[in-house]
Amino acid sequence: MNTNLLLPYTFRKWGWIIFAPSFILGVLVLFLNVEFDWLGKKVFTIYAGSGLKILNDADTGQFFSFISGNYTQTFAGILCLVSLMMIAFSKEKTEDEFIWRTRMDSLLWATYINYFILIFCFLFFFDFEFLYIMIFNMFTILIIFILRFNYILYKERKNMPYEK
Amino acid sequence: MKNNLRVERAIKNITQEELAKIIGVSRQAINSIEAAKYVPSTVLAIKLSDYFGKTVNEIFFLEETD
Repeated sequence: MNTNLLLPYTFRKWGWIIFAPSFILGVLVLFLNVEFDWLGKKVFTIYAGSGLKILNDADTGQFFSFISGNYTQTFAGILCLVSLMMIAFSKEKTEDEFIWRTRMDSLLWATYINYFILIFCFLFFFDFEFLYIMIFNMFTILIIFILRFNYILYKERKNMPYEK
Repeated sequence: MKNNLRVERAIKNITQEELAKIIGVSRQAINSIEAAKYVPSTVLAIKLSDYFGKTVNEIFFLEETD
């Protein structure tokens, strides 16, 4: 049981505190195209072009250049990912092998469900709708894991007999 | 795998909570072991049997399906 891979217990609380506003910002960015001007007009990019046609002679793409863009959605996405990871992977108050096994089970479970949903969406969504699915898919594995892991622990707590 | 942890606990007259604290695990762990839903590691099995002053075999038994 290698608990060194987990974050301290207090990170969970901070994860929620960061996640709440980040999630709201994410929704605003995604559905209302909210952008803050102070988050830049230019963004640095490793590669920008008309699609990934690196092998095509007619490619006009550029490596390591600045293009026009805004960091609002970048920050919203990163903050959501970091805060969800803080919620998902911080230690329980009492960390033991049973909790560890429940965690590993839930992670496997979340991976299966996540890719099952993705395969389903691969089949039935195309173009921009699929791009949206991919955006959600970045977060679903963590969200499914958090739900399943905490549900199991909650169920175990509820099933415990009251004893003298 | 079956076990008679609950019986041993009754003999010593301690609660799941107390046993969990002494061994250094969560109460959920003790509860799931007693309910035979979770098979503890060798380390935890030895810690538990040490506490009750017994051998591991006196507390944990294989079932036919194991």
